Amino acid sequence: MSLLDDINHINNQAKERISNADSLDSLNEAKVKYLGRKGELTAVLKELKNLSVDEKKSVGAQANRCRQELEELIATAAGKFSTSKTDSSFDYTLPGTSSQIGVVHIINQVIDEIVNIFHGMGFEIARGPDIETDYYNFEALNFPPDHPARDMQDTMFVEGGRILRTHTTPVQVRKLEEQNPPIKIIVPGRTYRNEAISTRAHIAFHQVDGFLVDEGVSMADMKGVLVAFCKSFFGPDLKLKFRPSFFPFTEPSAEVDVSCFLCKGKGCQLCKYSGWLEILGCGMIDPNVLIKTGHDPEKYTGYAFGMGVERIAMLKYKINDIRHFFNNDIRFLRQFK
Amino acid sequence: MKLSHNWLIELTGLNWTPEETAEKLTLCGTACKNIEPTAKYMDKVVVGEVLTLSAIEGASKIRLAKVTTGDEELQIVCGAPNVAVGHKVPVAKIGAVLAGDMKIKKTKIKGVESSGMICSERELGISDEHEGIWVLPDEAPVGKPLAEILDYDDHILTFDLTPNRADSMSAIGIARDMAALANKKLMLPQTDIKESDKQAYDYISVTIDDAFGCPRYAARIIHNVKLAESPWWLKKKLITSGIRPINNLVDITNLVMLETGHPLHAFDLKRFGSNEVVVRQAKEKEKFITLDDKEHELDKNVTLITNGKTGVAAGGVMGGKDSEVKEDTKDLLLEAAYFNPSLIRKSRKKLGIVTESSSRFEKGANPNGIEFAINRAAHLYQQLAGGEVASGIVDCYPKKIEPANLSLRVKRCNQILGTGISQARMVEILKALEFEADNSDPIKVKVPTFRPDIEREIDLIEEIARIEGFDKIPTPQSITGPLYTPVHWEDNFKKEIRTLLTSSGFDETIAHGMVHSRMASLLEPEMKHLKLLNPVSEEVNVMRTMLATTALSVVSHNLSHRNMDIKLFELGKVYFPPDSNDDWVEEEKLILAISGSTAGNWREKPRKLDFYDLTGALDNIWAHLRLGEYSIVEQPVGWMENNMSFSISLEENEIGVIGKVSSKIARKFDIKEDVYIAEIFMGSLIARGKPLIKFSNLPVYPSAPRDLAIIVDNSVISSDIIATVKKNAGKLAESVKIFDLYTGKQIEEGKKSIAISINYRSAERNLTGEEIDIKQMKIIESLKSEFKADIRDK
Ligand SMILES: [Zn+2]
Repeated sequence: MSLLDDINHINNQAKERISNADSLDSLNEAKVKYLGRKGELTAVLKELKNLSVDEKKSVGAQANRCRQELEELIATAAGKFSTSKTDSSFDYTLPGTSSQIGVVHIINQVIDEIVNIFHGMGFEIARGPDIETDYYNFEALNFPPDHPARDMQDTMFVEGGRILRTHTTPVQVRKLEEQNPPIKIIVPGRTYRNEAISTRAHIAFHQVDGFLVDEGVSMADMKGVLVAFCKSFFGPDLKLKFRPSFFPFTEPSAEVDVSCFLCKGKGCQLCKYSGWLEILGCGMIDPNVLIKTGHDPEKYTGYAFGMGVERIAMLKYKINDIRHFFNNDIRFLRQFK
Repeated sequence: MKLSHNWLIELTGLNWTPEETAEKLTLCGTACKNIEPTAKYMDKVVVGEVLTLSAIEGASKIRLAKVTTGDEELQIVCGAPNVAVGHKVPVAKIGAVLAGDMKIKKTKIKGVESSGMICSERELGISDEHEGIWVLPDEAPVGKPLAEILDYDDHILTFDLTPNRADSMSAIGIARDMAALANKKLMLPQTDIKESDKQAYDYISVTIDDAFGCPRYAARIIHNVKLAESPWWLKKKLITSGIRPINNLVDITNLVMLETGHPLHAFDLKRFGSNEVVVRQAKEKEKFITLDDKEHELDKNVTLITNGKTGVAAGGVMGGKDSEVKEDTKDLLLEAAYFNPSLIRKSRKKLGIVTESSSRFEKGANPNGIEFAINRAAHLYQQLAGGEVASGIVDCYPKKIEPANLSLRVKRCNQILGTGISQARMVEILKALEFEADNSDPIKVKVPTFRPDIEREIDLIEEIARIEGFDKIPTPQSITGPLYTPVHWEDNFKKEIRTLLTSSGFDETIAHGMVHSRMASLLEPEMKHLKLLNPVSEEVNVMRTMLATTALSVVSHNLSHRNMDIKLFELGKVYFPPDSNDDWVEEEKLILAISGSTAGNWREKPRKLDFYDLTGALDNIWAHLRLGEYSIVEQPVGWMENNMSFSISLEENEIGVIGKVSSKIARKFDIKEDVYIAEIFMGSLIARGKPLIKFSNLPVYPSAPRDLAIIVDNSVISSDIIATVKKNAGKLAESVKIFDLYTGKQIEEGKKSIAISINYRSAERNLTGEEIDIKQMKIIESLKSEFKADIRDK
């Protein structure tokens, strides 16, 4: 038997003993037996002097590897039986001394999340002014002057004949005026309504609007994108319901309900026991909007959609009062770290 | 709008449950928001009879009633003035839960035990009537559950109608959608009349002088009507729709309106004042008293129904006081007219009233549905009020409103929807909705006049889609449209700032930008603010021109809620009134606002936040976004402390202010603590674009750090010292930093000690000690001569 074989033999035996050791004592015994001054491995090393220089090198290296390996195994095994702390003066439970970090406002977090999903589906971010003309906010979007549809949105007027935009949809008109299709845009922004402030309504809030105009765009294309969005945002198991609705600037128009993510559609307080949550409005861009912005509705079609950011944030985080968003109480803000 | 579910079933003959009806209608665009059992508050409510009534000692308003419910006698304290012995009344027994979550329990009132409640209509949730208890008909059987005798096995559906669908503001309209979904025919209510020998023409004539406002006016004459209570089936339909029954004469017109969607008006023929109806524009400032006893001043937008002399009704909105149907009314003039929707809108705005009638005419009633509506009402007057209907309808309809002709291309419809619906199915749907449609392609369609919202091919496509069902439109798994999505620097710029600031402990706030002029003027008394013309909230009336206005409110809110240590920022817009070129300017700004102390921890004591926490945050932004170097210069800012107010400039352009809010201004916001603010215009920063980063080779030669400590007057500013050091050290100084600052006992008063470290390095060679010493000497000499600096031994 060569010395190398001896080493391997010792190695295997020692490993076995170490893994079977059931106390610190039996582990120590193993240590003495193999690695001690009179141990088996030490004995092998003593034989080295009888070997040639080359052999010394390779056998010596092998013996050292074996010693190292066994020492590590013993140390690890010893840890299992050890009960005392390594250094009793070190309190590793004291809190770490990082500096405090702040938080992005929850509304911007939600906007970013929504916008990022659409950005990934090829929508470019666009923005527009808060102070708008009647033309962009209403007329070009097929709200005729003095039409009941205008009552849907209580408008805040500013001096100089302009208004605070009641939705982010005017950016759609501005983009359609600036560019030729294909246009694929997502618009986050602030909007205003002249409503009494309550737990559910505020004079200002945020919307994300999006649209695509191109040749041959269909309502099915819209469904595909919105289903993908809702699953990305609310979770893949969610069900969606498209139901007909009315917006002056889309025809056909739809509202999208998602199955309540809290009760999974069984009915709860959040969904008012309907199992569904109203999430966004959408539809095929009305031919009148395309005509007004200089595009041929026979050649181009498009879809548009929009959603209220506060509403989505309130549903997602079960926030019961819309006024929290503008109060900016840091105890509120910091909950969304 | 609310409707009884049984009514819809009666009109369609379908056997749907209320839930099915609600679901199906919602999915075809007639959104049903709520289903409520009509007898929701009638559990444990039975018919009782009042046996005795006696006074309660020490109480004038309440009495003790003994009531039998057949199997038991109850003693109930009752406060209603109209309760009388022998009345049949609804009795809520112990355990009943009435409207408003009122739980009926055994109680003691003025020492008298009361076991139940005699109910008003409101308590039973069937109307708002609560003046007295609800007295039931004498024939009501004692002991029977109320819901049973009221035939209340029904549900109320609440619809949330879209403003375009005029047709669905009626039971027939909604039933029509149901029938179309089931591909069935509607079962219309009866309209047969036995006309009398009298001729309507002998009693009334109709002239329209304002055919724009009123394209059609029809009238019937009904003699000898007898006022009575309406039968229960009729009352129930009104009650479930939220309309209070009054008497048969009034209830019939209301019922027909709910049924057909066509508002009618009944005048008392005797009080009408003449035998001619003249429809004309109201004159400017013409006076008119509506039947709610209010006097109005009209204008030419109001279509006035007159008797040839004076107004008798504001057409389509509300009838007049003088010709109102009263208890002694015998003969009726029944009006069924069609009014111009946009004029009705102006008219009801002028009058300041919204009625069931105006909201239907405003959306658009059916000009050709008048015969049906007026005959239906006449039928009911004959059946329920014993009326004798005079022969003929006096109908003035100068220019018939014809159904619109449209065509629908089958391919176009499927292209818009992304579907493959057959032509036959499209025709079927259109016919089910009572459109005329032929079998050609394009399909030639005649749109019934009860659908004024259908004007174009696209509107027909929506009809196809909503009846076929949006769920039949496929959901592809691929994306159409362009794939290249440009990213705008502005968006990333803001994102970077958010990341930098939040990671250094700033919380982001969002204010809505509307403020009160009082607060806005505090900060900028000279500034003109953009005014809001119709704010509903009294707290706001102008747009902000500074973020500080809203930031101080946020700081104040937090301090008042004991959130004392705050580091806030906002990226927001400010708004200015149009300038002389009529340019409307909105600008993006960044504000930082801090107050209180750092958080601290067990190793580092908290310390007060101050000016340098702001400049530190700005340094981070500047460094990260490679904005070059900003400079801070003393400058008076009205709302800041005198000695703590500075401007921030970037390459000679002033871009913002920084400093400490003056205590005078802070007090106006109820702030007692120190607040430091930096507010910066972002436009020019964003316009610099995305910074280009260029790699530079790593240094090959070692650096040589040297320190230097000097004592100078407190008035010497550090940026001047650094500039001098850099100038003298020249290219060899890789960096110059202040690493210590000391004032106190160790040195003379009015002076400070500043320690500077200079890192020397050459890109070309090793520097020698001598050449660095020479630089150091040169620096020391200039510091001595320029700032009278004393050099401290190190
Ligand atoms: Zn739920």
